[in-house]
Amino acid sequence: MIEVVDTVTLTLDGRQITVEKGKTVLQAALEHGVSLPYYCYHPGIGIDGSCRVCIVKIEKMPKLQTSCSTVCTDGMVVDTQSPDVHAARAGVFEFLLINHPLDCPVCDKGGECPLQDFSYTFGPDNSRMEFPRRVFDGEGVKADVDFGPTLMLNRNRCIMCTRCVRFMGLVDGDAQIGVINRGNGSEIGTFNDEGVHSLMSGNLVDVCPVGAITTRDYRFKSRPWDNPSVTDTICTQCSKGCNTTAWLKAKPEWAKGSSLIRFTPRFNADVNQYWMCDIGRFNYRWVEGDDRLRAPLVRDAQGTQQRASWADLMPKLRDRLAQAGQSSPDGVKFLVSAHASNEELFLFRRLTEELLGPSGPSTITVSWRVTPKQQPPRTTFKVPAVDAPNVNGARAFGLVTGAVGDPQGPSNVGALQAAVAAGSVTALFVFDPGPDGTLGDSQWLLDARAAGQLPLLIVQGVLMTSLAKAADFVLPGASFVEKDASYTNDQGWLQATSRALATPGDAREDWQILVDLASGLGVQLGYTSAATVRGDIAARMGGAVGLVGIEGLAFASTMSARTWLQASNPSERWKWDFMYQDLPPVKGAVEPSSLPPPPGLIPLKEVK
Amino acid sequence: MSFHPKMAYDATFHKSSRTLADPGPPFTFTPERRARLDEVLTRYPPDRKRSAVLPALYLAQQQHGYITGNAMRHIAEILEITPADVEDVVSYYTMFYTKPVGRFVLNVCRTLSCALNGAERVTEELCAKLHIKPGETDTSGTFTLVEVECLGACDRAPVVMVNDAWHECVSPESVGHMLDSLRTRGESALTGCHLAVEKR
Repeated sequence: MIEVVDTVTLTLDGRQITVEKGKTVLQAALEHGVSLPYYCYHPGIGIDGSCRVCIVKIEKMPKLQTSCSTVCTDGMVVDTQSPDVHAARAGVFEFLLINHPLDCPVCDKGGECPLQDFSYTFGPDNSRMEFPRRVFDGEGVKADVDFGPTLMLNRNRCIMCTRCVRFMGLVDGDAQIGVINRGNGSEIGTFNDEGVHSLMSGNLVDVCPVGAITTRDYRFKSRPWDNPSVTDTICTQCSKGCNTTAWLKAKPEWAKGSSLIRFTPRFNADVNQYWMCDIGRFNYRWVEGDDRLRAPLVRDAQGTQQRASWADLMPKLRDRLAQAGQSSPDGVKFLVSAHASNEELFLFRRLTEELLGPSGPSTITVSWRVTPKQQPPRTTFKVPAVDAPNVNGARAFGLVTGAVGDPQGPSNVGALQAAVAAGSVTALFVFDPGPDGTLGDSQWLLDARAAGQLPLLIVQGVLMTSLAKAADFVLPGASFVEKDASYTNDQGWLQATSRALATPGDAREDWQILVDLASGLGVQLGYTSAATVRGDIAARMGGAVGLVGIEGLAFASTMSARTWLQASNPSERWKWDFMYQDLPPVKGAVEPSSLPPPPGLIPLKEVK
Repeated sequence: MSFHPKMAYDATFHKSSRTLADPGPPFTFTPERRARLDEVLTRYPPDRKRSAVLPALYLAQQQHGYITGNAMRHIAEILEITPADVEDVVSYYTMFYTKPVGRFVLNVCRTLSCALNGAERVTEELCAKLHIKPGETDTSGTFTLVEVECLGACDRAPVVMVNDAWHECVSPESVGHMLDSLRTRGESALTGCHLAVEKR
């Protein structure tokens, strides 16, 4: 069925354009590549009309109009480039900058700041402001104040666009921020200076068009031009699967510190809109943390875990597993975290089927953690309680009861727990590629291990969890930013994480470990890459709900931040165009190509 | 420090005039005021309770003399909004006080007509007589002096609004008499034309 969309046709800078009915002039202009500045408007939090920089000339209207709040109508004639628009816009910028400090060199937003970009592009080249600026720093007063557990607020830099106020009211659902006082004395504040306490607080940094709100996490850690590469990925810390971007800091090999420097949300109308929660944004240090598993470990005869190479480990692991399997074929069980991607779940299924026949997959138990999140009742962004990305993937593979799209409750490990308690489990293979604790309660396993009920415990994962410490074999795998992998979120969308980093040390991608393990056990699965695994998933169960299209899934490769910024969020797209240029555009500068060639030089001709 | 050659960046500081609201004693409306507020709330749709924030704040100010942090919380609870929303309104309007004020609040207009007719000298005189600066309360707790913008009585400038009523055509010479009669006779000493209108 063809959807009929009402459209209107208007003239924009002499061009006839047709846009969907109800769009504002600003949206129409941005969609058609016309540069207009804006601050108070944000596609996710609506129209305010208070910053006045988006003014345009519309024929038959007596004054210049704010394009963000003017809806397109048929036959409208809009001019964004006339001299009076230029002059008025420059006037607004002069006002915006009367109190804004010129501390761009030390400001965290410098380089990715819409105020910087727009002022260069549209603002006047000087200021007539001769009076002292409104400065909050002084005796007993600081401009930089605490703004809750995750944020800092610099009141000097604020231009009162009230995006943060509206974000808290409309998206977070708890209007904790207000405008205190009025006129020149206005400032952004929270009641009683309590600060912002919200699971969504990190988004305030994204909506703030200046460096007024910054995160404590990223503050002073890096500059935009130090993060030259970005990778589009998804967050795997809950079942929502927000689309995110991983930012990588460029650093020499000998430099300490992590290269994963921050996560920012990426627009996806169906999943997360423009936002992500603070858990996904700030909980990433474990990826490159000290607890990360970097080499395989084997418990020696004395009972201590020793570093081993994969070549040493695999025969030992094979022998122990084969021995356990021969003594009691039903005694080998698998406990898989719902952080496992579709590829890994499929490999576990294949492996058990090959080893134990059609009933093999029944030895796999999928486990995850459920933590309800505290959020205001009116929030429009619910963070799910399930702390794992792929419960629906496990359902698609028949490893968890229920259909894809059913509500997700707590995991059921009762049968495995009973089997362990009865002492019938001779070997347990735990796969836990998520952050610590997301496997769910594992204390019962540790207790069973201490009581001698688990003769063989193998842990494949990313962190030195208490379970890994108790294991006989520890296989270091890849975290979600280190592999191309697919997950099915709680709405049933098939989404992909992309490889942004290399696995640390001797750690390997998990599909590789499982294929090697299978071949050690005499099962030749024949996969040479994660893509071949996906191809086989499509061949064997391509029609399954939640897995459709898995073979053609596109994975983002790491790209230059500039390309990313231009290609991302369409309505914020153009404003990034001035980032990552070596020099800002200089007013009055002459393009070298427009100069006449020096005498005596034969100009090059274009060869056709 | 300044990056601007001509701009004395740190010569003067704009100190934030924000004072964290004094939480004050625990606050709940008296039953009569609560009933009055509930009556006001019936004028608005049930999901637009925030519309009644101004009447609610006036009631709180009547009850306690000024608006405390606890009063803001209490109002926010009743109107189903956040305390930040209430503080936003309180700090915007000059008629709401977040600090204790005297029995009479002298609002001296300083906008054009009054300024041309010597409102500044009226303020100076008041300051000298009461030994306070604008924004302060005298030691006896009787008078608070505030400078405000246009009070809408430009034809009888300069004008001083005492609590809710005007005292018009004030001069530096008549200020002393005004203070004395306010002390002895209270608000009945005022001469504003609102009296004439109400008599009619």
